[in-house]
Parts: sequence; structure tokens; C-alpha cells
Amino acid sequence: MSKRVVSIIVFPGSNCDRDLEIAVRNHMNVKTEYIWHNETNLKNKEMIFIPGGFSFGDYLRSGALATKSPAIKEVIRLSKKGVPIIGICNGFQILTECNLLEGSLIDNYNQLFICKECFLRVENSESMFSSNLNKSVVKFPIAHAQGNFYTSKDDLKRLEDNNQVIFRYSSEKGRVSKISNPNGSLNNIAGIINKEKNVLGLMPHPERAVDSLNDRDGIKFFNGLKNFI
Amino acid sequence: MIYRVYINFKKGILDPESEAIMKTISRMGFSSIKKVSKGKFFDVEISKTKKGLKDLEKISSDLLSNPVIENFKIIKK
Repeated sequence: MSKRVVSIIVFPGSNCDRDLEIAVRNHMNVKTEYIWHNETNLKNKEMIFIPGGFSFGDYLRSGALATKSPAIKEVIRLSKKGVPIIGICNGFQILTECNLLEGSLIDNYNQLFICKECFLRVENSESMFSSNLNKSVVKFPIAHAQGNFYTSKDDLKRLEDNNQVIFRYSSEKGRVSKISNPNGSLNNIAGIINKEKNVLGLMPHPERAVDSLNDRDGIKFFNGLKNFI
Repeated sequence: MIYRVYINFKKGILDPESEAIMKTISRMGFSSIKKVSKGKFFDVEISKTKKGLKDLEKISSDLLSNPVIENFKIIKK
């Protein structure tokens, strides 16, 4: 096992932190540490995950209150130094709320909490987060009520022009259409990176696709991250 | 001093809750009601200083609202 340590930030209300820890440990072959949100100094700077859940009950807006936690101040500081940061589901919502990623995740168009498996077309396999997925279609589950990606027209154009869209909801064959869009996201966006390419946010859960009971595409995702820490 | 911070969606943001409420209003037969938009407000007590009002504006833009999708308006109660 590598001596490298991957950090997982935990908030009151996080609920995917343990699944994520197991996926990271088993499929990235690294040590892991949980960081409580009150932590003011992150010592390990290899890679940071922000897990899914309902941080602070998702009061006010999903992820809004979590952005004021000391650990997120550290995440923001380290992101400027190029540390890879990955936010999944509520983690993605937190990253948009603290402006590390563009846009916002608003209510699903149909007002429902959606829990189902989704096919995702990998749009840009040059990013460190998707280099192992090689422009394929992967299957990860989603579980959210606010996953409808929204941003201004100008920002959307910029995201597309800069190849910052990494995952798009699609059919099994990779066709992107309204039918394959579960929540109303603009341009079927399921995951994006920042301009500097070291911060990823995605609504689907790769950590829930890593064992024999489920689909195993998540293993490829975590394996691919090994080379970047 | 108490101020009220009103928050509503910017124009063009999908608001399925308001749409569902509007559909119900139509179903109830109120044909003169044309549109309804949900918002929220916070009553905030602040100190009677310039800083109080400045801080209120800051929390309204940095925490209470998300400028990507929402507008806010501060009104003295």
C-alpha cells in the first residue's frame, strides 16, 4: 500500500463518507483519513474528497452552510495550489456554493428525489479524473433531489468551450438526449471540472459502483486516480 | 433594528414548486390568477450601526442567497 494519504472531509449530515473511504482504500491502494469539518489545518495534501450526504441538513440551500466550515477554507486554499479535489453529490453542491466550480445545482425538474442507475458519457478523457475512462460510457447511480445543473448562458458556453464538462447523462450507447436526462441539467451535465483542471464535481456516485452487487465502473474511476497522487 | 431579507429566483430559473402551485390554483378555478413565484425571507436583527447594515448586505449576498440563481432585497421592518 502506498504511503500517500487521501483525505475525506466529513460534515454533520454526510452519509457517503464510509462508502467512499472503502472505495478509495480498496481501489486506489492508499491510506485514508477522515477530516472533521472543524479542522483548520489539513496536513495531507495529496487528494481531497468531499462526500455525498446532507451536510448541515442541507438547510438554506444544499451545501450552502458547509462552505463556511474551516475545512472548506482549507480546501479552497489548497485548490489554488493545485491539490486535486473531488466532490461527489453533496460534495459537488458544496464546490459550486463555494465558487470552486461554476453553476449551481437546483431542484430536479420533476420535483422528485431520484435514485437510479445512470449511464454517463465521458466527454473529456484528458482530465486526470477521467483519463482511465477513455471516452467510454460508464454506469454510476445517482441519488439526489437537487442535481439539476444550472448556470448562465455565458458560463455554460465557457464550460463547453474549455472542455470542462467531464460527464454527461446519456443512453447506454452514449446518446445524449432529453430522454437520458434524469433531472433537467443543462446540456445533460453530470460532472464538470474547473478551468485549472484540478477540481471535479459530479452528481453520480462512483463509490456506489465498486462491488460485485452493483456495477463496477467505479473501480475504473478510482483506479485512474492512483496516478495523480 | 430588524430588517427583512427577501430572496427569490432570478428570471428564467426553473421553479417546479411554483409551477405545481400555479397548476393547483388554476385547478381551483381562479382564472384571474396568472402567475405565482415562491420566495423566502429572513428577519434579521442587527446593531444600529453602519457596520450592521454593511454586514447584513454581506451575509445576504454571501450566504443567504446564491447569486448564480437568486436575487435578494433588504427592507426595513
